[in-house]
Amino acid sequence: MPEHTTVNEIISRLETIKEEAIKNIENAKNSEALQLVRSTILGKKGRLTEILKTLGSLSPDMRKDIGMASNKIKLFLQEICDKKSDELVSKAKAYDGEVDITVPGILPFVGGLHPITQMCYDLNDAFRSLGFEIYSEPEITSEKYAFDNLNFAPEHPARESMDTYWIEGHETGNGSERLCMRPHLTGGSVRYLKEHGAPARFVYPGRVYRNETTDARHERAFFQYEALIVDKDFSFSSGMILIKTILEKVFGREIKVRMRTGFFPFVEPGFEIDMECQVCGGKGCRVCKHVGWIEVMPGGTPHPNVLKAAGLDPSIWSGFYINIGLDRLVMMRYGVDDVRLFHSADLRFLQQFK
Amino acid sequence: MKFSLNWIKKYVDLPSNLTPEKLSYDLTMTTVEVEEAYDLGASLQGLFVGEILSIDAHPNADKLRICSVNCGKDEPLSIVCGGINLVVGHKVVVAVPGSMVKWHGEGEPVEIKPAKLRGVMSYGMICASNEIGLAELFPAEHAEILDISAFNCKPGDKLADVLNLNDIILDIDNKSMTNRPDLWGHYGMARELAAIYGSYLKPITLAKHPTDLPCLPVDIQNSDLCPRYMGVVWSSVKTVTSPFELQSLLWRVGQRPINLTVDLTNYVMFATGQPTHAFDKSHIKDGIVVRSAYNNEKLELLDGSQLDLSVDDLVIADHEKPVALAGVMGGKHDSILTDTNEIILEIANFNALSIRRTSKRYDTRTEAATRYEKSIDPQRVDLAFTVSCEMFATYFPEAQMTAFNDVYAKPLANSTVDVTLDFLCKRLGRNVTKNEVTEKLNLLGFETKAENNTLHITAPSWRSTGDISLPDDILEEVARLMGYENFDFVAPTIKITNAINQPKYNLERGIREYLAFRCNAQEIFTYPWINDEFIRMAEIPEEDMLRLSTPPSPEEAHLRSSLIPGMISSVVSNLRYYTDFRIFELTPVFFNRNFASVSDEVEKLPEMARHLAFAFVGSNARQLFREAKGVLEQMHRATQMESLAFAQINKPSWADEAMWLNINAGKEVIGSFALMSVKVSKACGIKRSLVVLCELDVEKLTPLASRTNTFEHLPLYPTSDFDLSIVFDENVKWEDIKKQIERVEMVKDAAFIDEYRSDKVGNNKKSVTFRVWIASDKGTLTGEQIELAQKQVSKKIEKKFGGYVRI
Repeated sequence: MPEHTTVNEIISRLETIKEEAIKNIENAKNSEALQLVRSTILGKKGRLTEILKTLGSLSPDMRKDIGMASNKIKLFLQEICDKKSDELVSKAKAYDGEVDITVPGILPFVGGLHPITQMCYDLNDAFRSLGFEIYSEPEITSEKYAFDNLNFAPEHPARESMDTYWIEGHETGNGSERLCMRPHLTGGSVRYLKEHGAPARFVYPGRVYRNETTDARHERAFFQYEALIVDKDFSFSSGMILIKTILEKVFGREIKVRMRTGFFPFVEPGFEIDMECQVCGGKGCRVCKHVGWIEVMPGGTPHPNVLKAAGLDPSIWSGFYINIGLDRLVMMRYGVDDVRLFHSADLRFLQQFK
Repeated sequence: MKFSLNWIKKYVDLPSNLTPEKLSYDLTMTTVEVEEAYDLGASLQGLFVGEILSIDAHPNADKLRICSVNCGKDEPLSIVCGGINLVVGHKVVVAVPGSMVKWHGEGEPVEIKPAKLRGVMSYGMICASNEIGLAELFPAEHAEILDISAFNCKPGDKLADVLNLNDIILDIDNKSMTNRPDLWGHYGMARELAAIYGSYLKPITLAKHPTDLPCLPVDIQNSDLCPRYMGVVWSSVKTVTSPFELQSLLWRVGQRPINLTVDLTNYVMFATGQPTHAFDKSHIKDGIVVRSAYNNEKLELLDGSQLDLSVDDLVIADHEKPVALAGVMGGKHDSILTDTNEIILEIANFNALSIRRTSKRYDTRTEAATRYEKSIDPQRVDLAFTVSCEMFATYFPEAQMTAFNDVYAKPLANSTVDVTLDFLCKRLGRNVTKNEVTEKLNLLGFETKAENNTLHITAPSWRSTGDISLPDDILEEVARLMGYENFDFVAPTIKITNAINQPKYNLERGIREYLAFRCNAQEIFTYPWINDEFIRMAEIPEEDMLRLSTPPSPEEAHLRSSLIPGMISSVVSNLRYYTDFRIFELTPVFFNRNFASVSDEVEKLPEMARHLAFAFVGSNARQLFREAKGVLEQMHRATQMESLAFAQINKPSWADEAMWLNINAGKEVIGSFALMSVKVSKACGIKRSLVVLCELDVEKLTPLASRTNTFEHLPLYPTSDFDLSIVFDENVKWEDIKKQIERVEMVKDAAFIDEYRSDKVGNNKKSVTFRVWIASDKGTLTGEQIELAQKQVSKKIEKKFGGYVRI
């Protein structure tokens, strides 16, 4: 620095540097630009640093004045640099390109369980939480277990080949010899009770078979869900627990139900169980044929003859059955209008239930 | 069955404020399901009597007339009509604007509005019987309007009033009353309603049997099949049309009126639930014989069907020939004919089973058979006799009973049941008193005698044919009359003894969830009967399979012993819409062998097993095969079971020559997976896609009691890795290479990455790329150490397999 430069001159140069620096800092577009500004002023070879480096050659008076002034400017600039830096970071873009945020997400590639299995597992979970076991009976059974044990009259039409699929070569003979695809799940209850005795709480979901003409509402192979509780002096008014468990699991809320007289060979007393129509809330509409109730399942106390077949004394044991069509429940859950889709193996249908 | 509420009310005084809706509701809750309560009068709303004052030609139409009709209003209505039987002065049915009619008796009802017909205004419609739903009651020719001049009526009267059709028709679901033979007549239903409402049931005093008449010979050859037969001879009857009121009553409950004699027999049945039949007495030679038919005996029924009878059929015969199929239908030649003037009225009781079998054998479902097969009490013959006497006296005042016989070979005892109050209270879940129980039961016709806490109950005859026999039956009677809605929910009390642990169930569910959620496969269900075409394609042996005796279709008789045919069929159908997909099914298969006891010693069931099958579909065979293998390799960890091993032992019939493996659990082969063979692909028309199929027996998998894998310590010092590509002869297997690598010191693991074949690599050679991880437990590895390990690995392999490092 030349000898003749005065304190004022230097200070005014510092002021110019300061003013320019403030402007450059303000204008810095991003962190990189700011860093450049910072180093051109405050860096090792920065303009301010250059001035500070000459302090040693100045008179002590001048050194003191200019030193104080330049330090003050340095601190000031450092401060606004830091402030600007924070500001830039908080506004910075991690991705510096254009983006259309309405482009759809990339879905995880997963398979799925059949909607019937899903419903079945939902119900299994609910019943397991109540301490029920899960059981399954062989799908080929005998007339003894499908009908005789269940108090079906000897000439009951369900025993005919028009209704039940009998196995070729095993369609004649007495109850144990006649073999068929199980026409319902109820026969399994006697098998379980024979094996495990009472008291018992169990569910036994599965597929059953009927010789039928198929259409959108009728299938030859369809799924049922049956639950049975057997205990001492079990009152039918306690059977409601089974009904509530199912309907509340399916609909996710309490559903109003009613039990009315119904006749089925394997129960006494037997019930038709209706739930309040969920379409009209019980006021009456086309869906419920204007009665406000929809028939959802049969149920009842095991007939004494059924308990006897299972080796239980009906004067000690009683209980409650319910049986519900899983296909129909799934159809209600999703609004499916053709029961035959369940056996179609059609991925266009099945992949809607992931 | 249809019930007329007016008819029911002949027998019972129902509460005056009872609406049809409430009655339907109560009956549905307590006894049987009312499907519909139909207001007959309301359906005839807007229909009035009109008197034709004049008939003029229509200016624009030859077949139409312009009628001036007095409908009881100040001004006559001008109505254009095409009826062919219009006569001035006749009384006709006029549908006024706003009423609903079926145009020409077809289609949905439409509303009548004033309208121009060929340019002439018409202010209503003169109706034909089929346009207002009365075709069966008033049969008519085409374009014949309904003439009601014969009825006592004046213009402006409501049609429903004139015809006395203000009635409610209850349509009851027949299925809901199969166990209640007592309800299949109006008197029985009235009795049930009287019990529900505690109302007064008008008693029917049973008519005394005549004692001074000649005996009609009746010979019952098998009293098990015919416990009772009453024959009543009525002389001086005529085959005439019934009065309108009788026709109307039968028509309401769905019975077409025929002639007075037949209508009376039907009336008795609909009143009492007891079928009756009338024979022309002049055709019956020497009296009635109730016997089994002879083989090849012939009988023509009233509906014209020709039967070849067998000894399994019960017939009503005279001493020459059968005249009726007992309890089902009368014979055509000996029932009521146009010239009949003397009849034998049959009121009989038959065995329910025998009637059901016969009616089924000839596929003849009649009102009579429907009732008999529910099992009717023989006592009801007396009720039917009483009602028939009243009806003959009313409608055939000149007729006379001239002979009679009642052979009651096998009386039915009333059912008796003993019930304790304790039983009822426990099972009802609430307290009831002896009086409450007695009161309810008495309403239903049961007699009760109390002794300490036990009730000795005698059921009425009409509930003694099988319906009531156990304390539980009494429980139901009491509970339903108390009203099921009046029982509060009682939370069951249970003993908690142990937690539910079902490893087999958990495993099966685990496999399904593993395949669906971790392996991207979609679960499917297919039918257990499989199409022969796919069995042949997959070359599954048919002799192992069970068959259905009445299959859904002739080519779908086999029950599957393998899930592969169903898998192939599902792959084919989905290939129409998808190219890359994974599907699986877990379900039982069946074998015609190893019949064994499951639940008892007598019952032998065929071998069944739950199988798992999956199909992976895509375009890269090696990739699909490795993916399938990976899914199986990982399965035991995901589902907690014993791990699986793989080896080539038995090639499945549907597998490719090279790319297949059996799946082993322990030493046993439990399944296979393989690329589907070209032969099968070709047979099922799969052209471009490749399919890897897998099937295994889930029953042979062993679930673990708990998770068994143990924790491995993390390495103390960093692990390093390097990749090597080494050229081998084709016959060198990766499994052996890996074993060699792992023998090198510090090697922690080695993994296959890829293999590569080309001219450059050489004929019968492959280049295998793999990754090796090394680490030391003494310290971080130096560069030199890593290099050394790398050299050792290649040296070891070269020495063993003669491979060399590819540069």
